[in-house]
Amino acid sequence: MSALASAATPLTRPAPRPGGLLRTVARTHRPALVLSALALAATTVALVWLHGLGGEARAGDSACATPPTDRLPSCAAVEAITADETYANGLAVIATVLSYAVFPVAAWAGGALIGRELENGTAQLAWTQSVGPARWLAAKLAVPAALLTAGTSGTVLLNVWARGDGDPDLAGDWYYPDVFVSTGPVAVAYPLAGLAFGALAGLVWRRALPAAGMGLAASLLLHTLLERHREELWPAVTRVAAGSIELPRSAFQVSWDTATPNGVHITRATFHPQSHYWPLQYVETGLLLAVAAAATATAFALLARRLP
Amino acid sequence: MSAVTAGASAAVKESRAPHGLVPALLRVHRSAFLFWLMLTAVCLGALLWAAGPGADAALAEYRALGCDRPGPGPDCHFSGSAVGRHQLAVAIASGLVTLLPVLTAAWAGGALTGREMENGTAELAWTQSVSPARWLAAKLAVPAVLLVAGTFAVTLLHRMLWSSPKNSLDRLMGWYEWHDDRVFEINGPVATAHTLAALALGVLAGLLLRRALPALGVAVLAVVSLVWVLDELRPRLWPTTATVTSAGSTPNPPGLVVEEGALTATGARVPVPECWGELDCPAESGITGYYAVYHPSSHFWPLQLMESGIALAVAALAVVAAFRLLRRRTGAAV
Repeated sequence: MSALASAATPLTRPAPRPGGLLRTVARTHRPALVLSALALAATTVALVWLHGLGGEARAGDSACATPPTDRLPSCAAVEAITADETYANGLAVIATVLSYAVFPVAAWAGGALIGRELENGTAQLAWTQSVGPARWLAAKLAVPAALLTAGTSGTVLLNVWARGDGDPDLAGDWYYPDVFVSTGPVAVAYPLAGLAFGALAGLVWRRALPAAGMGLAASLLLHTLLERHREELWPAVTRVAAGSIELPRSAFQVSWDTATPNGVHITRATFHPQSHYWPLQYVETGLLLAVAAAATATAFALLARRLP
Repeated sequence: MSAVTAGASAAVKESRAPHGLVPALLRVHRSAFLFWLMLTAVCLGALLWAAGPGADAALAEYRALGCDRPGPGPDCHFSGSAVGRHQLAVAIASGLVTLLPVLTAAWAGGALTGREMENGTAELAWTQSVSPARWLAAKLAVPAVLLVAGTFAVTLLHRMLWSSPKNSLDRLMGWYEWHDDRVFEINGPVATAHTLAALALGVLAGLLLRRALPALGVAVLAVVSLVWVLDELRPRLWPTTATVTSAGSTPNPPGLVVEEGALTATGARVPVPECWGELDCPAESGITGYYAVYHPSSHFWPLQLMESGIALAVAALAVVAAFRLLRRRTGAAV
């Protein structure tokens, strides 16, 4: 009876439920989960508070006159408002945090998610259980990727909402590196690329600390390269005119040349108008996702080759 | 006979133990050692290049654009490519030195102590001829000597570049002030003191948490906060100087300004009035002058020594805490 019962038990669970694997990943990395949840909560509270401050901040940054006229408030009253500075500084901090989120993600993925498990042998132990190496890696990537996507998407939407009309004097121009990264899908794609880089570094080095360092270094390189070459991701507009050129407000200037052939002063300006925001976002997001996909594919190929 | 020989060789080994400990440490951390050599070489190379060919090229460009003439001509724009390369070289060196405390803390918390405690290699080492206290002393002393030597060399070279009298290099460096965070740190012992505090805090985090990655994270957070607090505290570390100017002009103190404002006839300090800059402003608002509270450049050394002292005190506290922790953990074995 007892033998029958024990033989029947494995039959009733031929395949382990994926829920168990996902829960294990979440359980092992509870500190990281708690820390990210705290960061997300703090960012959300800050953004809601900044949104509430927006109206007063815009009043503190408006045109004024001394003495006040019918349409313009007095400059002394406008100067007395300090909300605009708090609002601008708060948005700048949030933009920086969002655009740098890729770095801790890459270091964590290389160190704690993959590298440490391979160094300690807990990965090899897991593979002797009901989980195959490919499923193990898939769960390790899928759970953080889903959580990161949800978290960064929500934060980006909140950030855009808190920025209101995006007045460049308060919220920064659209092409400022941190503002550009933190207001569109690029902000979602960066941490995913960092996750893939970290996982690949963990599988290549198979040790926690070198993998954390290499994951971080690779994402630093990617971030720097894209920031430096962002203006080349979409054809820029060129304008040539005699005399000087007045570029539209919020133009992302790429180059500015002046020449004086035959005594005529010629100015040649290359720039991205604000309408290039979405094309630039899509191209950069596509590039980042392609890089992430390539790193993930390499990681799976490496895992398959390493196995006996 | 054999017992006597064994006893003698043990005695010989004991006296040679410190020699074995240092090479062992360098061997275990040789990738970190090589990385440190490379980082120092990049900093020194960038600064040497900036002092020599980089400066010559930048000055040649500067003259070619006509910037050295009184009332620089229309073609003088200071952002020429040679000037840009010179600035990039200096920025690489000072940026790496700014980053150094963070890297040091991450390595000291993660690789130097945290990983050894996590893997049990520390306990293994203590069962060999090395006592826990000697083990910790070597872990602190060897990196400290290397870090001080490298950082000090970079600081000396940057000072040479900064105070170079040979030409109008000060025009090339004119974008920066002596009190800018990066310039201030690299130009004196503060950079070295920050790095030593980072080493001590990292080692303490590794011993406290006994796991590589959490120790790395905590050490980095601690050092980033320490450097941030020191940057914020800096203007308050030495008594300031005040300067007063008449109502007709405004003070333009050459240094680190802490506070600025206007003076009334009674000598009270008030905010600069809204009408600032207009001709009849002083009469209208009752302002008799302007004042500024600041640090002149002669405060560079007192500020440097105060901040280095604070950072070194933090380092000393962390070292004492680490030794006490180790003694408590290992009992009488120390």
